[in-house]
Amino acid sequence: MASIRLERLTKVFGATRAVDGIDLAIPDGEFVVLVGPSGCGKTTTLNMIAGLETPTSGDIWIGDACVTDWEPGERNLGMVFQSLALFPHMTVFDNIAFPLRIKRVAPEEIASRVRAVSDTVHVGHLLDKRPATLSGGEAQRVALVRTLVVQPSVFLMDEPLSSLDAKLRVEMRTELKRLHAALRSTFVYVTHDQAEAMTMADRIVVMHQGRIQQVGRPLEVYGDPVNRFVAGFFGVPAMNFVEGELQPEPDGARFMAQALRVTLPGHGGGSGPAVLGVRPEHVRFADGRESWPATVSLIEPLGDETLLFLDYGGPSSLVAKVDAEEKVAVGDRRSFTFRPDRVVLFDGTTGGRLCR
Amino acid sequence: MRRGRRSLFPLVRHALLLAWTAVTLFPIYWMVMTSFKHAGEWVTWPPRWFPHEPTLVNYVKVLTPGTSTFELGRQTLKILKPIGDSLIVSGVGSLLAVVLGSALAYSWARFGTGGRNYPYNILSIRMVPPIVIAVPFVVYFVTLRLLDTYTGLILVYVATCLPYVIWMMLAFVEEVPVELERAARLMGASRLRVLRSVVLPLTASGLVVTFLFVFILNWSELLLAITLTNTEVSTLPITLNKFQSANEGRDYGPQAAIGTLATLPVVVMGFLIQKHLLRGFSFGLLRK
Amino acid sequence: MTGLRRWLERERVFRWLPFIPVQGLFALLLLPNFLLLVYLSLLSWRITRGTWWNAAFTGLDSFQRALEDERFLWALARTFGFAAAAVPLELLLGFGLALLCRRQFRGRRFYTTVFLLPMMIVPAVVGYDLSMLLIDQGPFNQLLSLLAGRAITVRWLSEYTPAQLAVIGADVWQWTALTFLIFTSGLAGLPEDPIRAARVMGASRWQIFWHVELPLLKPVIAIAVILRSMEALKIFDYPMLLTQAGPGNATETVAVYLWRVGWEFARVSDAAAMSLVLLVAVAMYSFVAIRVLRRERRRLAEEGVA
Repeated sequence: MASIRLERLTKVFGATRAVDGIDLAIPDGEFVVLVGPSGCGKTTTLNMIAGLETPTSGDIWIGDACVTDWEPGERNLGMVFQSLALFPHMTVFDNIAFPLRIKRVAPEEIASRVRAVSDTVHVGHLLDKRPATLSGGEAQRVALVRTLVVQPSVFLMDEPLSSLDAKLRVEMRTELKRLHAALRSTFVYVTHDQAEAMTMADRIVVMHQGRIQQVGRPLEVYGDPVNRFVAGFFGVPAMNFVEGELQPEPDGARFMAQALRVTLPGHGGGSGPAVLGVRPEHVRFADGRESWPATVSLIEPLGDETLLFLDYGGPSSLVAKVDAEEKVAVGDRRSFTFRPDRVVLFDGTTGGRLCR
Repeated sequence: MRRGRRSLFPLVRHALLLAWTAVTLFPIYWMVMTSFKHAGEWVTWPPRWFPHEPTLVNYVKVLTPGTSTFELGRQTLKILKPIGDSLIVSGVGSLLAVVLGSALAYSWARFGTGGRNYPYNILSIRMVPPIVIAVPFVVYFVTLRLLDTYTGLILVYVATCLPYVIWMMLAFVEEVPVELERAARLMGASRLRVLRSVVLPLTASGLVVTFLFVFILNWSELLLAITLTNTEVSTLPITLNKFQSANEGRDYGPQAAIGTLATLPVVVMGFLIQKHLLRGFSFGLLRK
Repeated sequence: MTGLRRWLERERVFRWLPFIPVQGLFALLLLPNFLLLVYLSLLSWRITRGTWWNAAFTGLDSFQRALEDERFLWALARTFGFAAAAVPLELLLGFGLALLCRRQFRGRRFYTTVFLLPMMIVPAVVGYDLSMLLIDQGPFNQLLSLLAGRAITVRWLSEYTPAQLAVIGADVWQWTALTFLIFTSGLAGLPEDPIRAARVMGASRWQIFWHVELPLLKPVIAIAVILRSMEALKIFDYPMLLTQAGPGNATETVAVYLWRVGWEFARVSDAAAMSLVLLVAVAMYSFVAIRVLRRERRRLAEEGVA
């Protein structure tokens, strides 16, 4: 049993609350990604689960045991660090064998286990080399193997792919997912890269300023963000935000900003300052009742799609992601609209989601 | 499975550290105290830990201008001239060494001048015990008429502390990114200008540390000073040594005063540079 | 003038500029010196007997005398003995203190400042200072009496072994500060992640120290050993001021003896010959030391920070 539960976990450094009372339950076998900007507390949380940092208050449960006071070595974890943390003075073999040697496993068994595990991840041919002579991807794999060899119940990963180049990163992402599927262990993965989070996670935990903003499956977090921060964190290019006023209507509400008038039937959100959010892929050209004029100020062709920057009179341009086939030129004056079911509204002051 | 073992350790740690603190401070404390004692209190049984009648007479005796005389039984010790001599020799010597050595360190770091092994070869100079070179040096200097001159001793000091200067400045120069210099040159700066406007400001603290370090080294040097100078030029360590050996009737007070005075500036300097010493002392072997 | 400036700017010229005065200094000072040393050793010259270029050439006589000189050989042995006693002590003490001061705690700054003090002090002052402390009726003996509960008067300056211990003690007192400095910066430079990785793997504090930290500290230990042993072989100031190389020859290090031969006895050629013998001994030692230093530096470059 390798489920993880965090109860009111807090870590205070001097005057900063790095982690502020988080509650999280991770079922056994899940691939959970902690994501957020730097300083949000994700690494601190991971370190507390590992036992490298002691919580100021709160508890950590692994399986049925409350491990808050346990030493890192007692928790049966495997951890991969951003810097990989391979022992530079040892060969690859010795690196992988080290955790076994600590546990005083017999030398013959060590040799066989190391070779077996190395072969599964294709590093068997590297065993005699030293870490400094390995390529980025090879070093990555060795770091992984070193955690695998003790068969831990939980794998912790602190931005392990950030030192790799883009192509390798994508390859390793797939390998990690395959590994997870084969092992069925619990994976807790920390990253600041939202694309990584989206592609790898069973569930995503979005963190900001020490608190959990939202927990959910990738598509939930993407399509149904709980506040402005989460909405703006995912998606490239980022979601468009328009600041304006919300006014109640007999059958719902209406959002107003500059020339925009968006009707929101069935919306019970009340009135006051609000922020409208809409993703670039949901901005499209149209004529008709709910459409507004804008000038195309910039075009960025991506190959399969094209990004258009639309000047509608507001403080910043709206970004629209349209099909590459669309014939547009800079300076064109066109009308655009939003896909009505994909518009989200946030409170102007708190940033919280105003539900429909 | 508990983390309670922390409670005893801090106490043990403080106990051990305090023990060594006592060992370290005791001789210094004693010397400073003695410098304020008058002759009757120097050697008592039981020894006086604190002067009952503190006095400045030792300092007065030692600091008034005049020359020291050493004869068995009768001795007057003046240190204004020795302090002056030490300042001149150490100051000028260290300055010259730092200027030359830093330039050389830069040249080696950027251009590899002198070959890959130059710093190691230079270091081997330092391995030679000074006594080995002292003997021929005297003969050499006598022939060149450099014996007992400021110039002679300064030159020797420059040669002996250059290895340290080079090694320490190497560490500091290597911290300056080459790209900055290249950018400046592309903007049209001459090499000298680059040194002045880019390298110098960025290695300024390193230069200061290195200077202070070799200053302390030269200030403390005894053997070469004794052999190569003695009368015209008489540095502080020489004076101390002369006094010690001429002195059967232990003139503790004034000697303690000299010791304190000799130590004070150096301790202050050392205090200022201690943090930076770490960087320069790495000999390129510390991981960043 | 711009022609000259232009010429100086060229890399080929510019890079040699600092080398000229430095190599010139070494060439003028050290090279003739060395040659003179060799020549002098082949003479049989005393200062009292006229100028050196007129002295009799006797070839290897001086060397033979040197190698048969018991006092010289004893001084040599004594010097290496002192170094062998003092340096390991300094290394252990410095390392221990650096370990104790490793993590941040209240008062740490105070301790590190105090511990670095001794190495700033003029060694001659240290010698003199300790001689004051170690007199028969001095404060040190009184402290020992206090701790032991009965009157102790060790005659530090007038008995054979205590005097040697005193000289070694002076060296350790002053230079533990240096090893402390070196080890402190070494420990601070250790990469954190391998240590944390080992913790998560369940390694005990001792296992981490032995298998991870110590190997990573090898280059630092090498510097400390090399630096200190280099300097320890040269001790001159402490014997001179603490014990005047006494009692008898108890603390006569090779530097002191050679100085006496050259200055007090004025047997310059003998001093020169002995210096060469010493040089050979030291050269062998430093050759090995520099090899080690170079290897550690290269190994560090290879290993990188993985």
